[in-house]
Amino acid sequence: MKLNAFRKKSPWILHYNAGGCNGCDIEILACLAPKYDIERFGMINTGNPKQSDILLVTGPVTKRSRERLVEIYSQMPEPKVVVSCGACACTGGVFRGMYNCEGGIDQYIPVDVYVCGCGSRPEQIIDGVIQALAILEKKTKELEVSVRLKNEAVKEGTQLNRRNIAGEIKKLITIEKN
Amino acid sequence: MYPLIISLFIVPVIISGLVVIFPKSISRLLIIAASFLLSGLSLYLFITINEPYRFSIPHTMNEVVAGADILLLFYFGFVAIIRKSWLVGLMTALQLGALIYLLTVIPASDAVQFIVDKLSVFMFLLINVISSLIAVFSIKYIDEEDCSSFRKKYFMSILFWFIAVMNLLVCSDNMEYFFLFFELTTLASFLFIGFRKDETSVKNALTALWMNQVGGLAILIAMFFIIKNGYGIPTFSNLLAHSSAAGILLPLALLSVAALIKGAQMPFSKWLLGAMVAPTPVSALLHSSTMVKIAPFIILRLSPALKNTPVASVVIVLTAFVFVASAIAALSQDNLKRILAHSTIALLALMIMMGAVGTPVTLVACLILILFHGISKCMLFLNAGILERVFHFKETSDMDKLAETGPFTSFVITIGFMSLLLPPFGAFIGKWFSIETLGSLATHQKLLGSLVIVAIACGGAVLSLLYFKVLGLLITRSGNQDKIKFEKLNLFYAIPIYFLIGIMLLSVLSFPFLMTTCFVPVASQILVMPIEIATIGWSIHIGSMTLPIIPLLIAFLLVPVTIILAMLIRFKNVDRAKEYMCGEKIDYSFSSFYFSTDKATPYFSVIGILFFVALIVVAIV
Amino acid sequence: MNDLVVPVILIVLAPLIGGLVYGFERIVKARMQQRWGPPLLQPFYDVLKLADKRKMIVHSTHAFLGIMHFVSLWFALAVLLLGGDLILVIFLHLLSTSLLILAGYSTRSIFSHLGANRTAISTLCYEPVLILFAVSVFIQTGSFEVASIFSYNQPLVLKMPLAFMALLMILPIKLKKSPFDIAEAHQEITGGVELEYSGIFFEAIYTAKWLDYIFCYTLVYLFGANDPLVGMGLVLFVFLYINALDNSSARVNYKQMLRFSLLVALPIAFINLLLTILHLL
Repeated sequence: MKLNAFRKKSPWILHYNAGGCNGCDIEILACLAPKYDIERFGMINTGNPKQSDILLVTGPVTKRSRERLVEIYSQMPEPKVVVSCGACACTGGVFRGMYNCEGGIDQYIPVDVYVCGCGSRPEQIIDGVIQALAILEKKTKELEVSVRLKNEAVKEGTQLNRRNIAGEIKKLITIEKN
Repeated sequence: MYPLIISLFIVPVIISGLVVIFPKSISRLLIIAASFLLSGLSLYLFITINEPYRFSIPHTMNEVVAGADILLLFYFGFVAIIRKSWLVGLMTALQLGALIYLLTVIPASDAVQFIVDKLSVFMFLLINVISSLIAVFSIKYIDEEDCSSFRKKYFMSILFWFIAVMNLLVCSDNMEYFFLFFELTTLASFLFIGFRKDETSVKNALTALWMNQVGGLAILIAMFFIIKNGYGIPTFSNLLAHSSAAGILLPLALLSVAALIKGAQMPFSKWLLGAMVAPTPVSALLHSSTMVKIAPFIILRLSPALKNTPVASVVIVLTAFVFVASAIAALSQDNLKRILAHSTIALLALMIMMGAVGTPVTLVACLILILFHGISKCMLFLNAGILERVFHFKETSDMDKLAETGPFTSFVITIGFMSLLLPPFGAFIGKWFSIETLGSLATHQKLLGSLVIVAIACGGAVLSLLYFKVLGLLITRSGNQDKIKFEKLNLFYAIPIYFLIGIMLLSVLSFPFLMTTCFVPVASQILVMPIEIATIGWSIHIGSMTLPIIPLLIAFLLVPVTIILAMLIRFKNVDRAKEYMCGEKIDYSFSSFYFSTDKATPYFSVIGILFFVALIVVAIV
Repeated sequence: MNDLVVPVILIVLAPLIGGLVYGFERIVKARMQQRWGPPLLQPFYDVLKLADKRKMIVHSTHAFLGIMHFVSLWFALAVLLLGGDLILVIFLHLLSTSLLILAGYSTRSIFSHLGANRTAISTLCYEPVLILFAVSVFIQTGSFEVASIFSYNQPLVLKMPLAFMALLMILPIKLKKSPFDIAEAHQEITGGVELEYSGIFFEAIYTAKWLDYIFCYTLVYLFGANDPLVGMGLVLFVFLYINALDNSSARVNYKQMLRFSLLVALPIAFINLLLTILHLL
């Protein structure tokens, strides 16, 4: 029986702030409030990567938060989608070029939907999530790799050990100013 | 029959002497052989004896017993002088005075001194089997102790001599003999607790000595009142025969006091808690499985006379209070043996309460609790010994690595704690019976019954909290390696543990059979009336209670089998991930929760003393 | 044999009925907050989605104990619905909670440990009240069996109103709802014991929560057992009460929860027991 159809009926969200100013965070939490009410789509804001499908990331990835971001991403079971909310998460926003940011989360984890805006409005966020759901339905259960997820999940016998899938991140990629 | 029973007394004494003489290798073989022999004998006696078997020994032994009493008291006086303990000296002086006075007024008689009835053979079974397992365990335990080899032999020798004394104690009818054996167990406790000869051991040994001497004094005063009231010679059967005479309450109250002190009920619980400095086989043998079981044993013996009297009511309320109080006091402890000691006191309170209520179903519950609590606590204490010797720690806060370094031990301790708490194990069934029958008590003695039910409900819940606190530390694994490697335990440590687990699991599976052949006949003989037990459909009916078998069998599959499988199972084709700590990669270390009950514990002693005073007052009035 | 059919069907369908109750509850809570709320079948969509995730566990002991928690809770519910002994049912429920607590302790995760600690403390809160309730039932009807409540001549709520009040006070603790949801404080310890479960293993815990609802509402139904209308009326009343309380109250910490249940709920249950014994009710 194809269970893919049920992925979009009950998407559970994990919201992570990778060092942002909290503007987009407040808009995300407003989505849960009665005016925008995303629970009518079955979405719950779980605080827990192991039980969520959608990772909503806000904020430019600061030095301190990049390892944690990758760690949380690796603890989410496939199939999963990443939605980067706000200009900072997409490209670095107003913080692009600073000493502690690297310009957007797609340097670290594979992103599926980019929601723009500096304070993205709840309507934009909901639209982005709905588009992410359409992508989620087509995803497989294989692990995806990206720039910084160099450490593979270790295969032990018949199981994958995901404990060290996000290795230590050492080098900061400098962004060319042009 | 006679030689078999006598050999239960003589074999341990002989072994105790031989162990001192022969070298280690031969005495090991002797100990193992004696263990098999004693367990087999007690099992055979249990199966064959149905009617009370009376026998007496030549009456010149009466003089020998009296002489031994006085010698013993002189030894206690000697201890008081060299340790400069005025309490022990005071107690000894009182006991000596009472004893000499009694010896002048005791009427001579030809009555039998020993009666072996079904209660005695039940206790024989418990004492000999558990003692044999502990003797095998302590061969290796005492070998690793830091003392001279003569002291090691001395330890094993006193162990066997203690077994002989316990065997004699549970079948003696004459109270003078009973007093001698009671004080001999006090002596054994004193020698064992002071074994390690450091300052705390000596202090705790003296505390145990004088507190138990108060119990012995109570027995002497009870004997005095029996003679004064004109019941004839002081024996248990004589006492029970006069159960409706006037003035019977005072001897009953005094004997109950002796039982309560031996069972370490508050305010006399300090001696049992201090006794935990002794080597662990001692804690397992004396202070959880056999010696403290004298307390419910005395109450069971007296139960036909004690039932429905004001003395029984005070005992019931006191033990209900102790059940809750010691459970609460246990929450603040960290040392594993102290936690087990508090839990022992709580369950002993429950057993004494069941004995004092005296209806058929409560007596069956008391017997079930005695047997299964003995097995479970023995297993837990032996594991505490293994933790001490093999893993080198005593506090529970050090136990958090145990599931990785010693999975088998942590698994056994988990099974031990679960067996005190949950269906389908015996200790749970005892608790269940107690709640159900106290419901029926509440219809007759209303305020009493309802207070006791609240106490049991709260005490049971606090005990579960206590067990969860310890279990939580035992079962923590890091998940870095999924494979479990069982640790290798020395054979002398491992075999008693395997035996105990086997006995426990077998008794769960054969519980209906045990009910009909073991517990109910003993209870009915105590009450001197038959108890109907019938197996209708899938449940057993005892008296007015039903015990459904199917839910218990399924609970058997759920609890022990689940815990065994949880250790061994490995899911294939499933990813392993790290625990969620908000993305941090640091390894946290953390411990359990702690309660501080220091504000409440002083009140417990005060309330206990009030209850004891009430017990005597109620008997006199 | 006939009177076994209905309980057996109820037992087999218990997860489905529980799911519908949970879904209905989410709608009611949302409407109370003037929101629209998810569709009624949302819990089943959740379950089917969870079945489709890649399987991931921390270690096998933890996952297995979670599954056995679900199985043993179903078993406790089965014994209750088949009319078994009330004290046995309470202890079987304690068994399933203790498997959950063991599961919580078995990983080296700090949130899981905190959740397990708090769940252990909350069993201390509600268990004495339930046992007193069972004993009061025994004194009223003469037997501990649930089946005897059904054949009693009056709805129990008329005879034991104080016990009903005490049950209302501890139901939030059992169902892990505000103000006593300290064991599963979502914003504080991110779910407590449920934290480390994912995918199909989380389904076991999720479905166990539905069975817990059925268990608690059956206990409420027992208060009006001999008349189905009174029973269902009580269940509806308690359902609305629990959800209104959940929506409107804040979380208390564990000390306040202990103090409340041991100093307020337990004395009320005890007074009820006394009054029942003295035949004043």
